[in-house]
Amino acid sequence: MMQQRRQKFNPEYPDSRSKKQKRCPFTAAGIKDIDYKDIDTLTKFITERGKILPRRITGVSAYHQKKLTAAIKQARMIALLPFVAEV
Amino acid sequence: MTHNRQNLYEGMYVISATLSDDARHKALDKILAGIKNRSGEIKKVHEQGRKRLAYEIDGHREGYYYLIYFTAPTAAIGELWQEYHLNEDLIRFITLRTDKVMEKVEFKALVEQQ
Repeated sequence: MMQQRRQKFNPEYPDSRSKKQKRCPFTAAGIKDIDYKDIDTLTKFITERGKILPRRITGVSAYHQKKLTAAIKQARMIALLPFVAEV
Repeated sequence: MTHNRQNLYEGMYVISATLSDDARHKALDKILAGIKNRSGEIKKVHEQGRKRLAYEIDGHREGYYYLIYFTAPTAAIGELWQEYHLNEDLIRFITLRTDKVMEKVEFKALVEQQ
C-alpha cells in the first residue's frame, strides 16, 4: 500500500500535494494584545472590501484571531476601518 | 460601594473637523470637564489630528481624533455615554476599559515571513 503511494509521487512537483505550514504572525512577533488603534497591522488582515480574512488564509492562531476580530470591529465603530469599502 | 470604584478607561473621540480650532478646543474641554465633574481624573490626552473617516457619518467625511486616558467611577460611564450622545460636535466615541496608559501611541510591527 505504502509503496503504491510512493510510486504516485511525481518527482517533478515534489511539493504539489503537501501544504506549506503557515505560522501565526502574531505569535512569531510575540504580540499578545491586538489594539484597535493599530490600523497598519489590522489592514493586513482585511480584504480590499473591508472583510476580515479567514485564518485558513492568514495562518493566524485561534487565540489571536479572536482578538484580531474584536479589534477590527472596534476600529470599524470609530470609523478607522470601513464596514464595507467601495472598490 | 462598587459604585465608588475607580477604573482606568481609554476613550477615543472623533470631533467634527468642520469646527474652528477654538470651537474644537471648547468641545474637547467640554468632554474633559464632563469626566472631571464626575470625580474622574484625566491621565493623558493624545491629539491624533485630522483623519479621513473610513465611511461618511452624518455628512462628515473627516474627523479630528483624540485619545483620552482617564479614571472614573463605574457609575459615571453610563452618564457620560448619555452626555456624549447629546453632544453634536462629537461625531463618534468609544470608551474601553484598559490596564495601562499608553505614553506613546505606537505598535510593534509584525515580522515579515518568507
